[in-house]
Parts: sequence; C-alpha cells; structure tokens
Amino acid sequence: MLSLQNVNAGYKGIDVIYNISFSLKEGENLCILGPNGCGKTTLIRAISGLIPHEGSIKIDGIDINKMKRADVAAKIAVLSQISTIYFSYSIYETVLLGRYLHMKGRTFKEPSSKDKEYTDKCLKAVGLYSIRNKQINELSGGQLQRVYLARTLAQEPDIILLDEPTNHLDLKHQAELIDFLRDWSKYEGHSVIGVMHDLNLAIKLSDKVLVLDKGRMAAYGKATDVFSSNLLNQVYDMNITEYMVDSLRIWENFDHHLKMGKLRKVN
Amino acid sequence: MKVKYKIILSVIFSFLAIMAGVGLGSIKVPPSHIINIIANKIFSLPLHPDLQSSTALAIIWKLRLPRTLLAFLVGGAVAVSGSVMQSVLKNPLASSYTLGVSSGASLGAALVIVTGFNIPFLGVFTLPVTGLVFGMATVFSAVKFAAMMDKSLETNTIILVGMVFSLFVNAILTLVTAMARDHLAQLTFWQMGSFSLKDWSNVIILFPIVLIGVILIQSFSKEMDIMTFGEDQAFTMGVDVHKVKWSLLSLSAGLTGSAISFVGVIGFIDLIAPHVVRKIFGSSHKIVIPMSMFFGGSFMVICDLIARTIVSPSELPVGAITALIGAPFFAYVYFSRRRWL
Repeated sequence: MLSLQNVNAGYKGIDVIYNISFSLKEGENLCILGPNGCGKTTLIRAISGLIPHEGSIKIDGIDINKMKRADVAAKIAVLSQISTIYFSYSIYETVLLGRYLHMKGRTFKEPSSKDKEYTDKCLKAVGLYSIRNKQINELSGGQLQRVYLARTLAQEPDIILLDEPTNHLDLKHQAELIDFLRDWSKYEGHSVIGVMHDLNLAIKLSDKVLVLDKGRMAAYGKATDVFSSNLLNQVYDMNITEYMVDSLRIWENFDHHLKMGKLRKVN
Repeated sequence: MKVKYKIILSVIFSFLAIMAGVGLGSIKVPPSHIINIIANKIFSLPLHPDLQSSTALAIIWKLRLPRTLLAFLVGGAVAVSGSVMQSVLKNPLASSYTLGVSSGASLGAALVIVTGFNIPFLGVFTLPVTGLVFGMATVFSAVKFAAMMDKSLETNTIILVGMVFSLFVNAILTLVTAMARDHLAQLTFWQMGSFSLKDWSNVIILFPIVLIGVILIQSFSKEMDIMTFGEDQAFTMGVDVHKVKWSLLSLSAGLTGSAISFVGVIGFIDLIAPHVVRKIFGSSHKIVIPMSMFFGGSFMVICDLIARTIVSPSELPVGAITALIGAPFFAYVYFSRRRWL
C-alpha cells in the first residue's frame, strides 16, 4: 500500500532524515519513535507531501510526486494536532469540510445526501453526533481532537498520518483514541502511521515500529522483536528499561495497598 | 433564529439603509417616492403628481441614488475583501486597510498628482489605476514580508508589518507632499475618501467589477473555510493552497483597489463588517461572503449619510467617520481576541 525507498528530506536544502525505507501493507499500523529532534515530524511531513523529498514514496505503486495533490489527499489524511481556532464553526460544519474532495464540482450547490450521510456516520463513530451543532470553540481538548478525527475519517483515506496525536489529551482520551484507530485500521483494512512519544501507546497501536536516531533508521520491525534495552537506552540516551521497571514496581506497590484496603479506590 | 430569517432581516436592513441614504438630507423624500422615481426611470411608470417638476426628482435620481449605490458597492467590496484577507491569513484583524493599502494607494495617487504624469491610453483613469496598483503592491509586499518573518502569520506580526509598511510609505508620501504643497487638498481627498459628486457612470463601471469579483470569491468559499484551520491542514485535505491563496489575495486586493480608486481610501469597514457578520451568522464563507457585501454596503451608506448630514450644509470626508468608529472597534477586537480562541 505504502512504500518508502531511500527517502531523504529536510528544510532549506539541509536533510534531516536520511535513507528511510519501509513498506506497509493494508491494515498494518506503524509507529515512529525516537527522541526530540530525531526527524519524526519531518518524516510524516514528507509522506504527506508537505515538504519535498528525495528517493521514492509510493502509494499503491505510484510515486506521490507523479500524483495530483487531490489524489494524494484522497489516499492519505493527516490528523492534526489541536491548534488555535481563529474562526469558529459548528462540529457538523467542521467534519463536513473533510468531504471537500468528494464535494468538488458542487461549488454553489448543497452537499449531496451521500456526503451528509457519511458525515453523520463519522460523527457517530467518534460519539459527537448528539452535539453536532455545538461550536468547536466551546469544546474541550479531547472533544476537539475527536472532531478532527471525524473530519479525517470523512476524507475516506486509506492511510491516516498522526503527529503526536495524544498531545493535550488526558490518559482516558489517549487510550480511547488509540483503541479507535486500531479498530479502524483492523476492520476497515486501512493503515495508521503515527509519531508517538509514549512507548506504551505505541506498542498498543502498532504492528511495526520504526525507531529513528539522528535522522537515520535505528531499527524497524515488530515492537517485540525490535525493542531491546541496548537500542532504547542508546537512542534515548537514558536507561529506559530501568525507568519502565521502576514505574511498574511503583504500580505493583499501589496495587498491593489497594488490595489491602489501605488506599481508597478512586473511581 | 434560523439562518434564513437572519438573511431576510439583513436584506431588509440593507434596503432600509439605502432608503435612508437616498431619502434623508436637506430635502427629505419618503421611500414610496424614491421607489416611484426608480420605477419611472427604469420602467417608464407614471410619476406621482407631487414629484412632477420637483427638485426632489433631480436630487434623488442624479445625485443621491448614484452616490448611495456607489457607497453600497464600495462598502460591500471592501467588506468582502476584508473577510477574504481574514480567512486566508487566518487572522481576524487582517484587512487591506491594516496591511497598508491606504498608504500605498495614497503614495501612488500623490506621485500622479504631483508629477502630472499621465499614461496616454488611460487618460483620466491614470490616477485611480496608479492608486490601485500602488495599493495592491503594498498589500502584497506586506503579506510576503510578514510570511518571510513569521510563517504562521501571527496576529501581532500582521499588525506590526502593516504598521511598519504604512509608516514607511507614509514617510515617502510626506517627502513628496513637502515638495509640492499646492496639491495637498487633492491628496487629502485620497486619504480620507469621499462619495460627493459621484454620478451614474461610476456605478455602472464598478457594479460589474464588484459582481464578478464577489462571485469568483464565493466560488472559493469551501477552500476559505478549510484554510481558516491553517495552510498545512488545508494542503493535506486536498486544497491547492498556493493557487487558492494567491488567487484569493489577488481578487481581494483587486476588489479593494478598484473600489478605492473611485472614491479614495476609506478604512475600517473591511474590518468591522466581516466581524459583525461572523458574530451573527457564524464562520461559513458560503454565508459570510454575501452577507459581508450587504453589511459592508449598509455600513458605508450609513457612514456616508452621517458624513454629509451631521454638519450640513458642509460635508465631512466619509473616511474620517469610518475611522472614528473603526479605530476603537479595532482596539476592541484586538484586545478581546482571546475570546475567539
């Protein structure tokens, strides 16, 4: 479905990522991991076409440089991070904008019944249908992220790209978003490529992980095969495994206290 | 209230504003007589006996009606232009006026007035066309410069760049006028704008320009909606951002430029009208664009009415009235903008 071959990309003529190669099949999810500044966002921007690249990025065997912008957008959608809203729209209007490519040629006409139905379907999928007439500047961060998710789904893409999608989200909403995306890819046969900082969420979402270190591929494959103390400690320049095990011990301790009734369970 | 009713009320508001603009002044004419005069001139329907051989007929048909319609067209054009600038630059305070169109157009006009320069095939249109070109060039330079300094085009960057460009161009203007004081009065006309002594020929030229401009802009309404979320998002949703952005900025600067080339620079309507429209109708450009036309037009007609009646029989420049109302409004939007976030 998507394949990258020796991709280099960067800004103002200076490469930030080098020789990136991987391929994804339908229904497969990929998480891109690595410390700040390693080139994760640059890779996502190159795949979405926002910045130029060298090497080849192909969707269904066709180089994206040879495709029209609209054709790329019909295959790849990007779930945006929450940003400032300058002009407010209703939730419904915002999600309907995701149908832009499907509504071309209807400049002065109302959206077709198919577009309306699909918008409703996406709103129901993210649980916002009942408040669809609310203005988006009245929403919490979690709700707004779901609006953007519904808009991304309304694009009917084959691949969704995410750049740190769980920013600004609390733990519950992070977990919900990841679960939703995993189900979407599995049941619809689509793919998700996400930049993540949280290794636990990355393991939950991904079939494969790509670890970047200073713009180069440090590892690529199934998380269970790829993650090793050496690799993570080297890439993040800290003892990741010790940190994770320490965290688990703390939780184990909490659990012990919870069982002993020493702490009140918080619902 | 349903959008449909709000639109009907807005159209009625515009109609009443035009009737007030035409009917009020040294001679007061009721709407029924105004409609009678229009029907008589266009469809040759019989005139009311009171109107036959009255001065009202000439005043309404030859002076006030073209003047009011021109004010409506100019107000509508700059308001539509303002709403486009705001969505393309995703900034509620962006407009041709805040980006220095006024200073640019004034400088262009000053150069023509002072040097007596005349482009042969343009003849009397040399002044408005030069004003238009200089005004548009200033806006484009300001947007390009702002984008170079700050890719995300933050509100403060736009305001500051507009200010820097206006101050710089104004400095050149001061130099030019210092060397040619005889032309000060003519220049003041340009900087403050006026609808006095405008006749039907101006309306007939401007009407198709505004109509075509607004229809073309309206055809980009979905793209504008998407671009208010940022260029990157618009790009990944399939919008040809570069083409759409520069088409819209050109159309918008062209609309403002054409409008001010007839009547001089009149600021702030392009900021106020879209703001009010968005408060009433929401942000969808399918409605914001036509309603900006109606509200901008109506506001301009009312400002012109104030300009020509408040110290009657003398007349104030309409740009002074719009600035008196607009500048505090600008401050209000700037300082309360966090409510938009």
